[in-house]
Amino acid sequence: MIEVDGKQVPWSENWTMASLLETLDNVEFCAVARLNGRLVSSPKFAETIIPDNSKIQLLPLVAGG
Amino acid sequence: MSQINLKEIKAISYKKATIKKGYTDQSLRVNLDANNIIINPIEEKIKNKFIGGKGYDLWLMWNAVKASTKWNDPENAICISSGPLGGTPGYPGGGKSIVTAISPLTGAPIDSNVGGYFGPYKKFSGFDVIQVDGKAKEDTVIFIDGIESKIKIFEAKNLPSDSYELSDTLTRYFDEDKPVNVSVVTAGPGAEHTFFGCLNFSWWDAGRKRVRYKQAGRGGIGTVFADKKIKAIVARYGAISMKSNNPADFDGLKLVTKTHAKEINELDPKQNRMSLVGTTHLVPIMNDHDCLPVHNFKFGSHPESRVIGEEVYEHIFDKGFDGCWKGCTVACSHGVKDFSPFTGPYRGKKVFVDGPEYETVAGCGSNLGIFDAQTILEINFYCDAYGLDTISVGTSLGFVMECFENHLITTDHTDGMDLSFGSRFNALEIIHQMARGEGFGAIVGKGIRQMKQIFAKDFGADMAFMQDIGMESKGLEFSEYITKESLAQQGGYGLALKGPQHDEAWLIFLDMVHNFMPTFEDKAEALHWFPMFRTWFGLCGLCKLPWNDIVPEDNKNTPEPAKVMKHIGWYADFFSAVTGRKTGPDDIITMSEAVYNFQRIFNLKMGFGTREHDTVPYRAVGPVTVEEYESRQKRYDEQLKEKYGLDISTMTSKDKVAALRQKREEQYELLKDAVYERRGWNKNGIPTIATVKRLGIDFPEVMEVLKKNGIE
Ligand code: SF4
Repeated sequence: MIEVDGKQVPWSENWTMASLLETLDNVEFCAVARLNGRLVSSPKFAETIIPDNSKIQLLPLVAGG
Repeated sequence: MSQINLKEIKAISYKKATIKKGYTDQSLRVNLDANNIIINPIEEKIKNKFIGGKGYDLWLMWNAVKASTKWNDPENAICISSGPLGGTPGYPGGGKSIVTAISPLTGAPIDSNVGGYFGPYKKFSGFDVIQVDGKAKEDTVIFIDGIESKIKIFEAKNLPSDSYELSDTLTRYFDEDKPVNVSVVTAGPGAEHTFFGCLNFSWWDAGRKRVRYKQAGRGGIGTVFADKKIKAIVARYGAISMKSNNPADFDGLKLVTKTHAKEINELDPKQNRMSLVGTTHLVPIMNDHDCLPVHNFKFGSHPESRVIGEEVYEHIFDKGFDGCWKGCTVACSHGVKDFSPFTGPYRGKKVFVDGPEYETVAGCGSNLGIFDAQTILEINFYCDAYGLDTISVGTSLGFVMECFENHLITTDHTDGMDLSFGSRFNALEIIHQMARGEGFGAIVGKGIRQMKQIFAKDFGADMAFMQDIGMESKGLEFSEYITKESLAQQGGYGLALKGPQHDEAWLIFLDMVHNFMPTFEDKAEALHWFPMFRTWFGLCGLCKLPWNDIVPEDNKNTPEPAKVMKHIGWYADFFSAVTGRKTGPDDIITMSEAVYNFQRIFNLKMGFGTREHDTVPYRAVGPVTVEEYESRQKRYDEQLKEKYGLDISTMTSKDKVAALRQKREEQYELLKDAVYERRGWNKNGIPTIATVKRLGIDFPEVMEVLKKNGIE
């Protein structure tokens, strides 16, 4: 299991941030997420593997300075 | 240090105006030529049109300066105002001051939005706005005492020269028992000797029992301050509550304040964690999206940037409440305790550093090839203490370093210093030289626009190349985002009224990452709406961060998530509750549009404000050099082939640089056309008669300026 924005989601092996987002609705604004506290940005979603028991927060639109 | 000596040379007592619905309806003018202190009423029609904050500042400045006024003429006026909503404790970001003057860098009006308690203290002392003009003969301190209802001008001797010590000394001098009652505005020696001097606005940090600072950084207002021989402007006021603004609807104000503050408390920990890391979360995000300036904006990312982002600063920042306004729940103004500089006058001593924020990390770190959190802290500290804008310092030094690496300047010009990227000790030495007004630092302190002239004329440097890589527009140095892949943000910088600062529009992600504005019309609409809305924060005395850096959880389900309409609804309620003017989200845009267009015409009055002044260096638009092109060759090759339909099979990299440049520069000009049209301006970027009439700013003096520029 992993936790995505406070909700429990079953975990799959070799899941990446990109493949996780494909399964979720309404995430077109998600360019940045926190994976176990660390920031991951959209250019790295495809290469970022999600370990089991991860905690993920999808950050809202980046607003700049 | 000898005892400080403040000799009173003028003092008046005044009857404090009663605050009604966020306004005192009075302005204060201090003329330093004659040491006159003048209190004037603010007319209802001016209030309705200019709202407050930046609007009031610009109106007073317009009346103070002539078309021929230069930054160092006595009539140049420094104006400071907090708008009608400014000074609401507990409302996130509810206590900003907006400062304006004619800028030494641009020759046109510049504005800066800054935290600290000065603006609200000055307002509650009886004045919506303060205008300081003239020039003092001796070092001067102006004291607005809202507790005793007195205004005093002092001749000052034996004051500390740097901002860090000066604000602390004056805070304790003017209210030893209750330092929280005092806020001080100071510059510093760097402001005296450069064109990008900043102002430090202080507040008393009751938890740490020390003075803290925020900077009105952009455009050299600190330089104007120092040129007038002002050492400090001090405001003193007592306790503030939500009733201090005497709001029209107290219950409504309480409700909206509580609602917004509660949301931030709940959501910031789940979103950007600004109460822990400030804006340093942006460092890794910008790096990963190729938007972090590296080596004078040449590149957008660097592997070592991980050591200068939130992961490092979160552990360095001192824990505690860091709101630069009373009760601001975002509380993002962090600092570092017991930092020990390794150079300069504070070497080996323990100091508190206010910062760094993202802009300082990017400008004085990655942009200079300095990937060292401690050096960035030291640069941050000395820039504040000397009164230097960290953005202009970082962007100017980046330009110098690229010139040095390209042999446009050599050690013969830099007093023997190697100024290659990454030269952290020499970067610090340049900053110390700026503060002393000595050596090569004195040249760097003139800013990029003047450096280009000096390097070309005195050192024989290639002007065309410097125009391409010198990151300034309108004379102001760029703030710290790479815009090459976002046409909309190129406009966000190039079409900004004061010069390339991101506070008008930050559209990089909407445009580049999400592709939500594919057409010129979409981009033009964004470059209309966002600057208009964001101007409103400056009219009201608010900070923009609580608007869209923490957003409601259901925001993504709304029709226009980027506008965060729920918060805009709250801001409209906030305005209605304080002023009693029933306001909806659309009214906010109309209020701002009037002031925005007025500022554009003010630029015109000063000899700017037309199409030719909305240009940006090519480095902001695309790759200037073959090295830059080849570093992202796949991206650029694809664009040439797919977007522009070119056959690149026989092209060299140099040919490709030229081909891409032609296409991108054409796009930027087309963007200007679309934005001007959307804003109701002509092809030359001047507001039309119909626009100024629609906005009700068709005052005779405005029409006169338009007429002089062929608009009738
Ligand atoms: S959000 Fe940050 S910068 Fe804005 S007022 Fe609050 S503490 Fe100051």
